[in-house]
Amino acid sequence: MRRRQFIHFAFARSSKVVLVVAADAEWLLYAGGAVAGMISSGAEAHLIRIGNDEKQSWDLQPEETALRNRRESEVAAKILGIRSVVSLGFRSSELRDVPHTTLRDRLMIHIRRLRPGVLFIPNPHTEHDRNLDRYYAGAAAEDAWHCARFANFLPAASDHGLEPHLVSEVYYYAPPVDPRRREPESTATFVPQPLQTDIGGAFARKLEAALALDTINRDRAMRLKQTLEASGQRLRVLDSVDGAVVRRIAEENVRGLARICAGGTSFAQAEEFRYAGIDFGIPREYR
Amino acid sequence: MHIAILLILAAVAAPAQDSLPLGKLPPGRVLLVAQPHHDDHTTDYGMGGLIARFVEHGFEGYYVRGSNDEKDGAHGYGRNDIINLKETWDAIRILGMKKVISLNWRNDFMNPIPLDELREQLIFVIRKYRPDAVLGHNPWEHYQKNPDHRNVARALVEACWLAGYETVHPEHFDLGLKPHSVPHYYGKGRLDWGLGQISNIAMELNESQERKKELAIAAHRNVYGSGGAARALSAELAKEGKYIPEFERAAGELEASDMITHWWMNWTSRQIGRKAGVKYAGSHNYTGGLYHLPGLREFVAQNAEPVR
Repeated sequence: MRRRQFIHFAFARSSKVVLVVAADAEWLLYAGGAVAGMISSGAEAHLIRIGNDEKQSWDLQPEETALRNRRESEVAAKILGIRSVVSLGFRSSELRDVPHTTLRDRLMIHIRRLRPGVLFIPNPHTEHDRNLDRYYAGAAAEDAWHCARFANFLPAASDHGLEPHLVSEVYYYAPPVDPRRREPESTATFVPQPLQTDIGGAFARKLEAALALDTINRDRAMRLKQTLEASGQRLRVLDSVDGAVVRRIAEENVRGLARICAGGTSFAQAEEFRYAGIDFGIPREYR
Repeated sequence: MHIAILLILAAVAAPAQDSLPLGKLPPGRVLLVAQPHHDDHTTDYGMGGLIARFVEHGFEGYYVRGSNDEKDGAHGYGRNDIINLKETWDAIRILGMKKVISLNWRNDFMNPIPLDELREQLIFVIRKYRPDAVLGHNPWEHYQKNPDHRNVARALVEACWLAGYETVHPEHFDLGLKPHSVPHYYGKGRLDWGLGQISNIAMELNESQERKKELAIAAHRNVYGSGGAARALSAELAKEGKYIPEFERAAGELEASDMITHWWMNWTSRQIGRKAGVKYAGSHNYTGGLYHLPGLREFVAQNAEPVR
């Protein structure tokens, strides 16, 4: 068994990064620091939102929720330095009944159009994540990564000039809830390996971007209050929830996640991935 | 699951977790169990003992059966459905539950069904009965051969939290229902059947709960009442010149097969109990509290206080 890998900073060999997100704030919470680090190193990043985030609010109608979350995602992406945001508009929390190939082919078009060297996708292999949109989106994104290189996919798009494209590095991200998320797989060839990346240099920007997701942050704060009340507990800070409290809870969440992901390393703040890089496709002994 | 399979599992079962912490019963008054089949709440690593414990502590229990169980039994689709539903009621009465709500999706045809529709039905039931705890399959099970189990579990774990969202199925609110999120989920856990079925707690069972667990599975006569298990076991042992003396005292193959069911269920509870330092227990994958908000757990642990 290989030991899990630590790298001091996420390093992209390519200058173009595409970040695929199912919904919610997950792209920022679980991958935002690494992407910000790559942008600081000169990479050009693009965000593809699959879901419309219409469910993620405390007291708004779905249409208003979707609109606000889209705008706030665009603001957060701009803070992080992301160049463009594509919103595919699928209804959030309902991805399970969208045909897999429908999702895959939409993503494949954007992969061929943007031609990234690095892809961030939700990890469909993670376990104990109760939001299964991430599973369906991740499975489609993984398939899109795989198929985008083959000329026999998307013939109409190929005819329009969208040539096959191979992405050489993939980061699978997930909330750190799977107790076995740091267990290495049997081989690095063809199987992404656990990776913890130092995001200390990009943490401030990640936090600033996360605080821009006001609708999602308010929803989280209110549901936290509700959950605690249901179990006979309270947080004094949540007695009266205003904008400052919402930001406080959001900040604690971002800091807490960074601490968890840094566990077992010398990093102060980190993010965790399953990483498919050069070892993934070409066995070390062949190079 | 048939007894013959249980016997094979008994032979290969190699508990991989040395110890399990004992869990406590959560506060509340309503328990909802949702599984695809008539017997899933009572099988070996099922929920029967824990259900009995919840009920003995004052919970009202409701069983949601996802499928129509038409394939389970030897009487043809229609009759199997009728018999299995009747025996589901027999089993839940033994466990002290109040009601079976059968969603009647076609048995073993649940892979291609619209899962959002199944999830909507589960959200509806959750909003109606407002459970404090839900028991079901673990959607991350590895080597789960029956897609009914996986699909109902996937729909269920999402239903448990989405039922609390006002933006999800607002049409329910016109019928008088209100949002309700489920704080405690107990998934099936058995590490001898794939890494995805990891257990993180054991729930202790007393003699009464263990006995109800054994009786509840035996209530499913349509699939467990053929006597075939005793016949098969006796034939295997006879090849080695052995026999089971207890079978000689049984009235027939049916009673002997019931003995096997009780021994197996009892053995399972004792094996799990041993890991937790008690006589009987069931093992589960529990998720609750703030497991879905890992970044806030430490902050809450340091700052939360009880409501006065």
